Amino acid sequence: MPNSDASHGSSPNQGDGAAEHGPVTTPGGLPQSAHQATPATESHHDGHGEESHGGLKVYLAVFVALCVLTTMSFFTYSPLWPWRDEPQVGWAFMMAVSCTKAMLVVLFFMHVLWEANWKYVLTIPAAMMAIFMTIMLVPDIGFRSRMVSQERLLYMARPSDEALMHQAATAAEAKEDGQEAH
Amino acid sequence: MSTSAFAAGSDFADGGHHDTHHHGDDHGGDHHGHLKLQYQPGLPLSRGKLIMWLFLSTEIMFFAALLGSYVVLRFGALQWPKPHHVHLSEPIGAFNTFVLICSSVTVVLALEAAKANKTSLAKSWMLATLVLGSLFLGVKGYEYQAKFSHGIYPVKPMGLVYEKPDLYYASAVRARLSDPVVLEKLAELDAMSETDMSSEEVAGRKSLAEVKRLVNDPDQQAFDIAVVADQVMPLPAEHGAHGGAHGLNDTFDWLRLPVVIPGGNMWASTYFLLTGFHAVHVGVGLLVFAILLTYTLGPATAGMIENAGLYWHFVDLVWIFLFPLLYLF
Repeated sequence: MPNSDASHGSSPNQGDGAAEHGPVTTPGGLPQSAHQATPATESHHDGHGEESHGGLKVYLAVFVALCVLTTMSFFTYSPLWPWRDEPQVGWAFMMAVSCTKAMLVVLFFMHVLWEANWKYVLTIPAAMMAIFMTIMLVPDIGFRSRMVSQERLLYMARPSDEALMHQAATAAEAKEDGQEAH
Repeated sequence: MSTSAFAAGSDFADGGHHDTHHHGDDHGGDHHGHLKLQYQPGLPLSRGKLIMWLFLSTEIMFFAALLGSYVVLRFGALQWPKPHHVHLSEPIGAFNTFVLICSSVTVVLALEAAKANKTSLAKSWMLATLVLGSLFLGVKGYEYQAKFSHGIYPVKPMGLVYEKPDLYYASAVRARLSDPVVLEKLAELDAMSETDMSSEEVAGRKSLAEVKRLVNDPDQQAFDIAVVADQVMPLPAEHGAHGGAHGLNDTFDWLRLPVVIPGGNMWASTYFLLTGFHAVHVGVGLLVFAILLTYTLGPATAGMIENAGLYWHFVDLVWIFLFPLLYLF
């Protein structure tokens, strides 16, 4: 009867069937109260083999990897970073590092690596729409300074303003040094 | 609904057909011979987790919208302040990243301990998560305070940021210098003898007199206003260079003269919006953890811990992108 199969809390037509059946045969110390219809028992029968993945070693390895990756992106800030004059190299590097960290968190900490195929239904459309929305902002917002009117340019901050501030700072320093010399 | 809700839909629909290859009898005799209709959720996961994931997919789009508009605004701007212009401390940001990563690990360990029925261990990990999350918010609050003390606010009445050293800036400095409260303090400062003042204050008084002369000078040049702005709050040329460059606003905390940070207003809007929404999410997570701490964290509550953990990892995930985008770009 399908009933008895159902009461195991696992579905037989799963894509990753082998892994999903983990808890059916080896409930691994969980109390055998799965037949009582309580929300609690429901939740620990989430349908993935709790004992077959994760584990302290995996989590610690991921943690160490995340720390190393954070140090790597922080390295772009240090004076030792060789591409100080080409910030684009650092940006690309940091985004690559961030995406790697994000994948580690999603796959291991959020257990997505061990989930069934529903994960693609939720994450891929959301990610596509997020990227699409960002791209749609580019013509109006991203290119806004290419078609800016002369009048607006009067009130907008420009790189020349920063340069002027630095000139003023250099002049002030020179003046201070001059005073000290006298 | 019953636990057995996890039977697959198609399997049940033509259950008769499947009867032959099902080893249904190995489980003894419960529900024997009864055809019991069951609810089919359609996905092999609990409703709580499904709803959490649906919520997270809306959150992906929410933060993608914020991060996307930040990136587009930042790279479309003619001028954007460097992190050290706006008093961002990269080591503090890196420290906060580390704190959040640690809290992600502790929540995962709390889940594992709860599944293994080690309730007190699970509670300790949960408490550690709560402490780390609070630490993150504390550091964030300290950082906000550093911005506020430099006159960087997301809105105008409190904010002192001007985009460029121009006539409008000079007139704002004049207006502040003729404020009755400031006039009173200036008179007090002028009356003080140099022996009662620190060398910094003596130098500050001299440069303040120069600022007053320059903003009231009828022959004022563009460069003079830049000198005023530099005296009030200099833009550090490189991080670490000026050693936290000191201006008049730092020497006399009552002065609060307008400051010039080219591109600073848009920066403040995006920074406070992004980190503010993130901090709200951290706060909600902490509330959830505080509630969870009142439960016995065993296998029965593992589902709840898992859902709270999913949310927390997502908050961590957002910070993973926020940190380089805000502090290192």
